[in-house]
Amino acid sequence: MHLDLSELSQLAPIFRELFKGFHVSRRDPELYAQLSNFQDQYRTLFKALGFELVCDTRGFYYFVPDMAAAQVNKTAQRLSLFTFILVEHLADQGRDPMAVLDGGSLGRDELPSLLDKYRDLFLQAEVQTVDELEEKILRRMTQLGFAHEEGGIYRFLPPMHRFLDVCLAVQQDRDLAATLHSDLPLPTPTLVEEESPEALNRTDDPLDLSPFEGEESEEQALARAIREEQQEIDA
Amino acid sequence: MQYNRPLFLGNEPKPMIEPKRVLRALAEHWALIEPLCERFDQGTLSLVELRHHVARQQVESTPQDITQLLDVWIRLDILVPVAKSPNRFELNAQIHDFLAYLRREHRLGLCLEIEAYLRHLERLAGHIQDAFDNRDSDDLARQLRLLDMRVRDVLKKLDNDEQALVAVAERAKTSNRQIPLRQRYAEVLATWDEYVEPMIQLVNADGAFEQGVRKVETVLLKLLGEQARLGHLVDDDMLLRTHARILEMQTSAQLTLRHARELLLPLREEARRHNAVTRGAALALSVIRRKGLDALPQAAMPLFTRPQSTFLGSASQVEAYVYALARFEPKPARFPKAHKPSSGALPRAPRTVKEMTDRCEQALPLPDLMVWLLEQEPEGATDELLYWFSRLSREKRFKRQRLDRRDYTTHEHRVSLRSFALTSSREDATTAPTDTNASPAHAS
Repeated sequence: MHLDLSELSQLAPIFRELFKGFHVSRRDPELYAQLSNFQDQYRTLFKALGFELVCDTRGFYYFVPDMAAAQVNKTAQRLSLFTFILVEHLADQGRDPMAVLDGGSLGRDELPSLLDKYRDLFLQAEVQTVDELEEKILRRMTQLGFAHEEGGIYRFLPPMHRFLDVCLAVQQDRDLAATLHSDLPLPTPTLVEEESPEALNRTDDPLDLSPFEGEESEEQALARAIREEQQEIDA
Repeated sequence: MQYNRPLFLGNEPKPMIEPKRVLRALAEHWALIEPLCERFDQGTLSLVELRHHVARQQVESTPQDITQLLDVWIRLDILVPVAKSPNRFELNAQIHDFLAYLRREHRLGLCLEIEAYLRHLERLAGHIQDAFDNRDSDDLARQLRLLDMRVRDVLKKLDNDEQALVAVAERAKTSNRQIPLRQRYAEVLATWDEYVEPMIQLVNADGAFEQGVRKVETVLLKLLGEQARLGHLVDDDMLLRTHARILEMQTSAQLTLRHARELLLPLREEARRHNAVTRGAALALSVIRRKGLDALPQAAMPLFTRPQSTFLGSASQVEAYVYALARFEPKPARFPKAHKPSSGALPRAPRTVKEMTDRCEQALPLPDLMVWLLEQEPEGATDELLYWFSRLSREKRFKRQRLDRRDYTTHEHRVSLRSFALTSSREDATTAPTDTNASPAHAS
């Protein structure tokens, strides 16, 4: 394919944002329009550079990182957990979770009650205060393009479908009910994570003697092997 | 008690109601009757409620006027008392249907009704055949007329149902978005299960609808042929007209079904997806509650690529990294003078990651990484040794196994840590396929 770089007028900002793990949606009209108009060109160029650009038909773009060079982080775990919690919380309240997460909004004033109700689960994501909830989850969501904050209202953007897809995958997995009693893991979307001091400390501090996150337990290795085998069969 | 009159006239012959008077009353009181229709769609009304409604519509009327008006409606059979509840009233079912037709309001019928009509059409086809075999032209004409009327009934019903389906979809789409989707789309889901799904079965190629139509069509076509051969009992046009109407009914049923699917399927899918998302979230939370957040798989976790510049390493590592860069200008090296013997050891180039990992790989298997590092770099600074310890133990080419905590003495410090035994991960990769065959039952 012939690439005319002069056409790709937003290449630098697009690459910068995608590389940081940002999801480009219609919320960023200039970048989104460029990506939609020159989708193939961008995809080819990024592929040549070793980046896989995903063009989701529901209206957003993002990079899938190269698995080999990637590092594990907690962000998607936290964001997935937050999505699960929010869906359940809204359903409990008799509100429509899809209407909220697919273009709807959540007020900052709703966060304290959410934290109170799911304190035990948030604790697992190292979130204990409303400030931490905003800092570690909602701010990360806005940084990654999943939500947009304005005047104390968080509006959810189309990339949230990645997390809704996780819910669907969980539900559609007929064996998942069985995993309540086994060690099979849940699927989580792969996010490109921008650097954060937390991640750096965790992975590269020479004096950090805590167990390595990349280390697999026997059970995890088995689960991974089964999953890989399943993928091969599916392929 | 005068309102209860029709109930107590049960055994007496009903007085003839003049259609013109009924129509005139409906036309004259349309402004009052139309809003009442909506109320009667929800259920019956007591006399007090009825009076209240009329009074609200006609503010200036006296109680006597209202009594008189209701009396007229009851006498004309527009309003009828509810069985066993003489003080509650409802619209006469026929009038109600007529008003619903006028107001373009359609109640969805039952798929079973259509099936019953179809069975009846099949029976009529049998009677037509019998009448022809008996050469009874009057009976044949009568049966054909009946068939034609029944087909019209089915057509009317299909049209009504289609309008009702549109209304179901519209209600679901326009209802309050704040109420849960399951409630919002309850009617859609029920309609799908109770009407669309049985209709799909009915209109299937081997369903009752197609079978019935085929049977009637065969009889009519056979009749046309036989009439040409044996002489005419009825006009051919009559047969052809009935045949055309049968085909129209068949097309109409297919169109109604297609329309119903187009209208309701997306809504049904949306509701199902919504349910699936809610269920999935609840399932995921229950897994996390039981097994913790780490039940989320390591392999599928969020990943990121990090540029080298953010590496945290010892001064030598940074230097080594920069050293490897093409444009790096090394510190001016002091070359030994030819005439002077060199004093002391030569400055050593910093070790690169590649060099260290290669060396480590060649030395595999390592029973203790830290011991090996101390052997390799006995003079190495502690931070540098720990850097290599951290770096090498994370190298993907190696497989690590945690050792017990113990003390290690570097050139400068004593360090307490849990070292690793390293082996090559490539060997594991070659044996991996046998591992993947392990049954999940042995996971624990």
